[in-house]
Amino acid sequence: MELQLGLALPSNPSKGFDLNYFASEPKEIAVSNRSFTVASSCTDINDINDNNKKRSFDQTFENPTDSTVPRTLPLLLWNHHPNEEDDPKDLENHSLVTFNDKKDGDNGDGLVGWPPIRSRWKNKRLCHENNGAVGLENGFACGIRGSNSTYVKVKMEGVPIARKIDLSLHHSFQTLTETLMDMFGQWWLETGQKDSNQYKLAYQDREGDWLFTEDVSWRTFSRSVQRIKLLKSSR
Amino acid sequence: MNYFPDEVLEHVFDFVASHRDRNAVSLVCRLWHRVERLSRQRVFVGNCYALSPEILIARFPGLKSLTLKGKPHFADFNLVPHDWGGYVQPWIEALSNSRIGLEELRLKRMVVSDESLELLSRSFANFKSLVLVSCEGFTTVGLAAIAANCRFLRELDLQENEIDDHSGHWLSCFPDSCTSLISLNFALPLETLQNILMRAPQLVDLGTGSYIHDPDSETYNKLKHTILKCKSIRNLSGFLEVAPRCLPAIYPICLNLTSLNLSYAAGIHGSELVKLIRRCAKLQRLWILDCIGDKGLEVVASTCKELQELRVFPSDVLGVGHAAVTENGLVAISAGCPKLHSLLYFCQQMTNAALIVVAKNCPNFIRFRLCILEPTKPDPVTMQPLDDGFGAIVQSCKHLRRLSLSGLLTDRVFLYIGMYAEQLEMLSVAFAGDSDKGMLYVLNGCKKLRKLEIRDCPYGDKALLTDVGKYETMRSLWMSSCEVTLGGCKTLAKEMPRLNVEIINEHDQMEIGSEEQRVEKMYLYRTLVGPRKDAPEFVWTL
Repeated sequence: MELQLGLALPSNPSKGFDLNYFASEPKEIAVSNRSFTVASSCTDINDINDNNKKRSFDQTFENPTDSTVPRTLPLLLWNHHPNEEDDPKDLENHSLVTFNDKKDGDNGDGLVGWPPIRSRWKNKRLCHENNGAVGLENGFACGIRGSNSTYVKVKMEGVPIARKIDLSLHHSFQTLTETLMDMFGQWWLETGQKDSNQYKLAYQDREGDWLFTEDVSWRTFSRSVQRIKLLKSSR
Repeated sequence: MNYFPDEVLEHVFDFVASHRDRNAVSLVCRLWHRVERLSRQRVFVGNCYALSPEILIARFPGLKSLTLKGKPHFADFNLVPHDWGGYVQPWIEALSNSRIGLEELRLKRMVVSDESLELLSRSFANFKSLVLVSCEGFTTVGLAAIAANCRFLRELDLQENEIDDHSGHWLSCFPDSCTSLISLNFALPLETLQNILMRAPQLVDLGTGSYIHDPDSETYNKLKHTILKCKSIRNLSGFLEVAPRCLPAIYPICLNLTSLNLSYAAGIHGSELVKLIRRCAKLQRLWILDCIGDKGLEVVASTCKELQELRVFPSDVLGVGHAAVTENGLVAISAGCPKLHSLLYFCQQMTNAALIVVAKNCPNFIRFRLCILEPTKPDPVTMQPLDDGFGAIVQSCKHLRRLSLSGLLTDRVFLYIGMYAEQLEMLSVAFAGDSDKGMLYVLNGCKKLRKLEIRDCPYGDKALLTDVGKYETMRSLWMSSCEVTLGGCKTLAKEMPRLNVEIINEHDQMEIGSEEQRVEKMYLYRTLVGPRKDAPEFVWTL
């Protein structure tokens, strides 16, 4: 079988490969005739969860009807746009691929282990801990120039605005919880709630799973946390 | 029949250096096997679980240099849980209890404890060289033992390791004059950099850590003068935080540099990088961030005519307007650097046309690893898959040994790979292919395949089980987020007892007994010693 090299070349070859019309990347691509069979093809998000045997955030915490918390999809479900209706026809002929905008540098919404470089988060942590000593030869850019901290997003159930917290300042769940309560204190004053016992701390680890912090040690938590959520614990 | 005395055979074998050739020599006949093994000094073990330390020691009593690799490659990208394995301790223990006079130890992706380093430093009087790449589990306490006890240390190379720092003073454990030290490759803080350069003026490899901010300070001047004296430095890496005004301090040695690693110097602007690189005409190896941009790569192409290896990493720049690299940068490099044979290139986009040009310009690629940052992205000009582009690469580069694919790819690219990539030893695949056929083309066609790692592809039990004998000719196979089932893996394990088929069952996803459930992560490898005894709870060996 001959290699077909008759490709569509740029219309003006003498200009060279001048492809600068990609100023911004499309967030969604419709690609014909592709079925992304990461999971077996099905149209229902919950079915896919079962197939993957990977708990989505919702499955873990059994809170499918809370409309104020946006649904967080399992990491493998990157072939579903979170806000679209599942149209079987669409899935057969096209697959919509949505990749989260990584503008804020947050790895939490992206694929696990992609792009294939050594973990930036690990590197950031080392940057902070070692302050320029021998631990720093780990792979890649620290990110923001001069940045030495490890910020993770924190979302509280019922609060529309997420915050960020510098994990490197904490060494135990106690200080972390206290700080978080202070952070969201303003919200409580407005809504009339303030009781830290009412809330449970949950986090998303590197593999994309949601876990309760009360189940793990600080060390396990701090090494793999990507995002944090505060949940009402009355259930 | 004439026989040569053993000494003559041994002398001839001395000229056979590569371990693969020596392995071939040892298969000729019993006599050659015996002479070869008794005279072998350097041994490479690609998978530490393929054999035991005892087997190694028994076969190669003259061992002086050992290379060991532990975790699968995808462990670098967090796909392998922390306590999976790869411990070096049993190896060092066994070696120290034997009569082996170990002089060099090179470890990759292994767990190395301080205890292991201390034992190592005390056990081998002639120990000369320690290379740790992507290892973890040790602190500067272990390193201090190495520095203090290994009197003849020539090389200490610590790349990409995860070190829990306990003390910053271990470098002072080096003796006052390390005349033997020629290679020190890890990030050094500035004060110690100064110190080391004074003690080891013949240093050839040097890593630097936080560089300096203020060019007027006394330390900076001292450093400038010290560097002027280090004419021998050939390899330079580091620069985590550096003010561009300070880069001129290293200009004097740029002319002699053959290797430059700026892959974590996020603070240097593209234009400063270019100014630096213009002075490095002898560069053979360059690791750099994509903020150098296509224009910067054109400068590299016109300056670095000796370039053999290039790695362009994605920089973590926030916001719009950052200069990433595209296919244009790669085409420029391929046109300007005729000796280029190893490439790792992270980019925003790639076209088939560009790949075809690159294939024509550089038929000598040995390693070609392309990572288009957005998975399944097609050729942006034609909206076609990149099958033809990669096809051109494998067809043109007849010596290609390692290939990493990305972008939108169908089964066709694997057909090309199976047909043309005759020397291919390692293939990395992600988000590619349409059916089991893709994987089968590769398994059937690539006779020299040793490592295959696949993630997020639609390959299932049929692909896995069609040619089970193939896996004994390979070092390992990794499949994650594919379609293989527990039943399929069990069948494979049953038919091939000399393979370890390991399932990584994190977070108790898998239930015993349910054969149809998909396996999230499978890693299999050939082995002489059966299931490993140090597997953690979440690893099932079927």
